[in-house]
Amino acid sequence: MKGLLKIIEAIRPTFDEGGKLGILKPVFGALEHFFFAPSDTTLGPPHIRDPLDLKRLMSMVIISLVPTILAAIYFFGWRFLAMVIVSYAAGLTVEALFAMVRKEGINEGFFVTGILFPLIMPANVPLWMVALGVAFGVFIGKELFGGTGRNVFNPALVGRCFLALAYPRTMAASYMKPSHDLFGCLLFKWLPPGSVDAVTVASPLSAAKSSGEIGGTAHLFLGSVAGSVGETSALLIILGGVFLLLTRVGNWRTVVSILGSFIVLTGALLIGDAVSYERMPGVVGPVIWHLCAGGFLFGAFYMATDPVTGPSTNSGKWLYGIIIGCTTVLIRHFTGYVEGVTFAILLGNITAPILDEIVFKVRFRRLASEE
Amino acid sequence: MKFRGGHNILLQGRPDGMIKLMPEPELLYLPLRSRRFSFDEVCVEEDQQVNGGDALARDIDNYSVPLLAPRAGRVRLNEQEGHIVLEDVARLAERADIDDEDLPHIAQEMGASGIKRYRLLTLGAWQFFYDAYSGSLPDPLGSPQAIIVSTLTLEPFSARGDAQLQNRLLNFTRGLEQLQSLLEYQPIYLIMPDIKSEFANLIRNHIRGYASVKMVEIPLTYPYDDFSILARRLGLKRSGGPVWSVRTEGVLAVDRALTLSKPCLVRIISIGGTGVNYSTHISVMSGYPIQRIREKYIFEPASRVINGGILTGEQLGPDALGLDTECRGLTVLPELQEREFLGFIRPGWDRSCYAACYLSSLRAKFREHLSTGLHGEARPCVSCNFCEDVCPAGITPHLIHKYLYRDLIEEVEQARVDLCIECGLCSYVCPSKIDLRKQMMDSKVLIAKEKEEIRREQERQEELRKQEEARRQEEENSK
Repeated sequence: MKGLLKIIEAIRPTFDEGGKLGILKPVFGALEHFFFAPSDTTLGPPHIRDPLDLKRLMSMVIISLVPTILAAIYFFGWRFLAMVIVSYAAGLTVEALFAMVRKEGINEGFFVTGILFPLIMPANVPLWMVALGVAFGVFIGKELFGGTGRNVFNPALVGRCFLALAYPRTMAASYMKPSHDLFGCLLFKWLPPGSVDAVTVASPLSAAKSSGEIGGTAHLFLGSVAGSVGETSALLIILGGVFLLLTRVGNWRTVVSILGSFIVLTGALLIGDAVSYERMPGVVGPVIWHLCAGGFLFGAFYMATDPVTGPSTNSGKWLYGIIIGCTTVLIRHFTGYVEGVTFAILLGNITAPILDEIVFKVRFRRLASEE
Repeated sequence: MKFRGGHNILLQGRPDGMIKLMPEPELLYLPLRSRRFSFDEVCVEEDQQVNGGDALARDIDNYSVPLLAPRAGRVRLNEQEGHIVLEDVARLAERADIDDEDLPHIAQEMGASGIKRYRLLTLGAWQFFYDAYSGSLPDPLGSPQAIIVSTLTLEPFSARGDAQLQNRLLNFTRGLEQLQSLLEYQPIYLIMPDIKSEFANLIRNHIRGYASVKMVEIPLTYPYDDFSILARRLGLKRSGGPVWSVRTEGVLAVDRALTLSKPCLVRIISIGGTGVNYSTHISVMSGYPIQRIREKYIFEPASRVINGGILTGEQLGPDALGLDTECRGLTVLPELQEREFLGFIRPGWDRSCYAACYLSSLRAKFREHLSTGLHGEARPCVSCNFCEDVCPAGITPHLIHKYLYRDLIEEVEQARVDLCIECGLCSYVCPSKIDLRKQMMDSKVLIAKEKEEIRREQERQEELRKQEEARRQEEENSK
């Protein structure tokens, strides 16, 4: 470790202002601070600080994703790792370029985007599309708004939304049947056996939409269904998600509110469907099936809890969750799209600042009456 | 208002309940500035021999609060910048009470209860009083709407109330009665950690009938012992008049000044923190040389010595030679020097965190070995909302931070930054390492400046209008 620190100190002048590679200073700084925490101390009161920093905060998200990542490899093969690497490489390039132009440090927020993005891609999506999607997401969704902390939309979702609209056919054709072997694809299988030719497997939601055919809920719960790489196993998402909530990195209010409103509205639709004379179009399946199908849980636990793009106030979070939950149900049942979470969360992102504004207005009025 | 927010930081080195005597010093360095006071009007001359209890200087902006000589000695005015130095310090008979010839004069001017208040002021007890809302020194001749007496100190580390009360319970209750005698009908709120304890019953028995003291129990979470939080909690309105608030040492000082007519010269302060070898309380006088305390208690040379607690205290620089008159404790923290390898992926069994992001959240609460490290780099705000969750005053630090970034002073004012009690918890929890406490304080200053400007502008306009009117009047007259 000391040797590494010496090397860093030795090459520092090269990257300093005016050095040969001065323009790469943010990259150097990011690497340096990745290995060695800065030795900065507090300047005034309070003289101590919480040990938690953004690096740790973001690491917690990645740690909570570990079960899902392992499941992704198990079900869809080691190709997923290649997708992660491509995603990080492309996204970090954009991030680093902007950091160099702005002469700021590289922010940690990207470490989460870089891993979330491949997890919401179909398993067999071409690697260049992964790169394009994540670069688009980071560029348009985040950097143009001013970088970490100032973006309105979740960058990973912006990237996915872009790909879904720009290459709908390739995206739809990239869904694969998961491996059903005992060890899955963990024994160095690039892709699940027998799936390379058998592309265009319908995900459970689209199968239900097109033919009304409903698969077993247990499969959805465990994850052995077609779908985006990380969204198939409800069990593992709930596991990681609860961990995220316990560490307070994700806020439980958002998640509870999304799940609650989703269950209530789906239940209401199903009851309405059962008691009405004519069947409502597109309303199928039990509530628990809907809960586990598609990317809903993944979105609720990992995308909607992003603090930057969601509202900051607690009451705002409840409303935000209701908007996302209800919109998801409406899109799933009554529009041409099979999956609604992406759009619902992006819509929620739009409303988040307004929700906050309303909550703050009310709060200021209450505070003003207090002397 | 209900209590909200708050967070206890468990730092290693909590002072025990003992009180250690420090050896008598030969030299005393009395700083002319402290947090609230600046003693600009010096009342002694070079080489003058003073007795313990004589006023060395006064703060004319704060009702002429005196800086008392803690011991007899010879005055040196110009030896140290910003200090009055006392040489040949000796413990002689203390000067007691107001001179007899002054008494009828004061009685004539202020009335009978005025004498008591005058005594409080001249004998150095008044400086322990705070106005609950502004934190400044209240007017000794004013009449408060209530008095808050707090026996708690929740910030790590200031002198603990229970340590100060040892063997002095009688003085304390007598002090409460003396306080009551200053009032007409206003209540005294006594803030206790547990109002059903034996100790509380003891106090109740002592003061029965002599003072109308209401005991209030509050949870032991920092910073619920803050006076403005307490005043809001008790429903005391700002418009209802000043709220005097005083801590244990203040009540003891009142007792000493009014019952014994003796000045309060010796005080009990705490010495604690991660960088001391033995955390305890010491009994010292103001002006006590810090160097001697350092030699005795601080083992790490690269330590930061803080005048007050870790969250609100100010660092004592090398130019601070003696304890100031408002010091309630010294906290010592080692300075961070080493860079941690891959710090952010460590399990963190020994570092506790507000947001349960380290393994330590699986173990029972423990006192942590903290240093002055920032633990991370400054980053933009990610709206994690920890600062709002932890804020005891019910405001939104991160929102004010963003308003301030965009120079929206009016909005900052609307967000009630004036309710901020500067407890420092928002800065402490911020994962982006933004110094929110400083920004809150800065914005208060900005708002004050803005208001001052507006007031001046209005005055100028008024002046112009008057001149205009006068001119017109003259013109009419001349016609």
